[in-house]
Amino acid sequence: MKLTPGEQKIQGNFLPGAITRDGFLGSDSRHIHDIVLEDGRTLERLGLNTGEIADRLKFFMDEGKKGLEAPVVSGTFTVQVEWHKGSLPCPFGEGGLHQKIMARLCSNQTGKCIRFSQMNIHLIREHGFFEGKGSPLRLDPEDLAAFLGL
Amino acid sequence: MCKCRVLEGAGSFRPAELSRLSQKEREEHIRLSCQVQVRRDLAIAIPDDLMRIRDYQAEVTLISDLTHDIKLVRLAMIDPEEILFNPGQYIKLETKPYGNVRLKVMRAYSIASPSSETKSLDLMIRLVPDGICTTWVHRHLEQGERVRFIGPMGDFGLHEGEGEIVLVAGGSGMAPMVSLLAEFQEKKIRRKVTYFFGALARRDLFYLDEMRAFEKEITDFRFVPTLSSPAPDDAWRGETGLITVPLKTYLEKESRATAQGYLCGSPGMIQACIQVMNACGIGEDRIFFDPFS
Repeated sequence: MKLTPGEQKIQGNFLPGAITRDGFLGSDSRHIHDIVLEDGRTLERLGLNTGEIADRLKFFMDEGKKGLEAPVVSGTFTVQVEWHKGSLPCPFGEGGLHQKIMARLCSNQTGKCIRFSQMNIHLIREHGFFEGKGSPLRLDPEDLAAFLGL
Repeated sequence: MCKCRVLEGAGSFRPAELSRLSQKEREEHIRLSCQVQVRRDLAIAIPDDLMRIRDYQAEVTLISDLTHDIKLVRLAMIDPEEILFNPGQYIKLETKPYGNVRLKVMRAYSIASPSSETKSLDLMIRLVPDGICTTWVHRHLEQGERVRFIGPMGDFGLHEGEGEIVLVAGGSGMAPMVSLLAEFQEKKIRRKVTYFFGALARRDLFYLDEMRAFEKEITDFRFVPTLSSPAPDDAWRGETGLITVPLKTYLEKESRATAQGYLCGSPGMIQACIQVMNACGIGEDRIFFDPFS
């Protein structure tokens, strides 16, 4: 696919070292639009939308923030939030900054845990982007929905 | 916010400014630079501190572990040979390319050393998952290496007052507090100082010996480390719970009508502590903070 200079610049934001150390694409060689489209189809098959996923993640992020970095039990989950100094721009380049906040959410029933960032919530809600396969913060929509019980 | 002092030519205050500037600020000609329309020459007052910002070359003379995820980095000035700063200020450190990271970035870190030490400065840098600069510092930066930074910047620091000083910090928020405490010690400031430091477990505590030394050398200083999730083998006998717990217990004991609060940490921690301070009689005009944002 031929990219405009503007699209090339945005694509560059997703690469390692541009905004974050590892970038947002992992080993995924697909175009960002294709990643979004395929994950969108998965959500459609599950009968979910990005807002529902983002709302659930935000709920746990907000719960975790109350712990001031200590673990917080919320229902059948335990969430722990780390709040780091600084903020990051969205790789899609629409302006605004997102604080460097990481959450570790664990199911108290299965012991399984996921990690996600404040940026993940924004990327899912506003752009339908769950990150590329192999990215350290990739949240596979099907696995995520099952984990969250959606 | 983008506050600046415009002495002439800025015209009348716009609605967005009126809702964000106090009466006192308006009387002092403080404006929001994002709102002022430039239609003629302006006379702008530039703070002296801004004029002190320089581009520095320095040598890394020490990198050591403070905790499992915080490192102490000491930089010796090369060019210029000295740095003048106020306790509480920060610098912006420039990275070098490494691994997949080809671009240089600059990140802000508070100075953690006395302002009387002008030939070198200390930084406390916590590893950020997937962070460009902190990964460079923790995994690639070496002693003897030459680095570039700009600074000093920021207006977090000691304000005039007579009353007690209450410090609250967590994690690498320790950095500006160390610089402030060194100032209290060197200038023999005779105000009561109590410092609440929040951590998860004993492995997240550091600078305990330095704090004990300050307790001996500052007239009326007490350090209160508090663990929110002590590990079973920590054998912790100190304060436990969120940092707001011992802070509230302490502040409720007597009137805090002249006390000042100084906070450094996550916005969540700062907000929670401000609520406690307000409820205990420390008004917003006597609370100063340096958020991780």
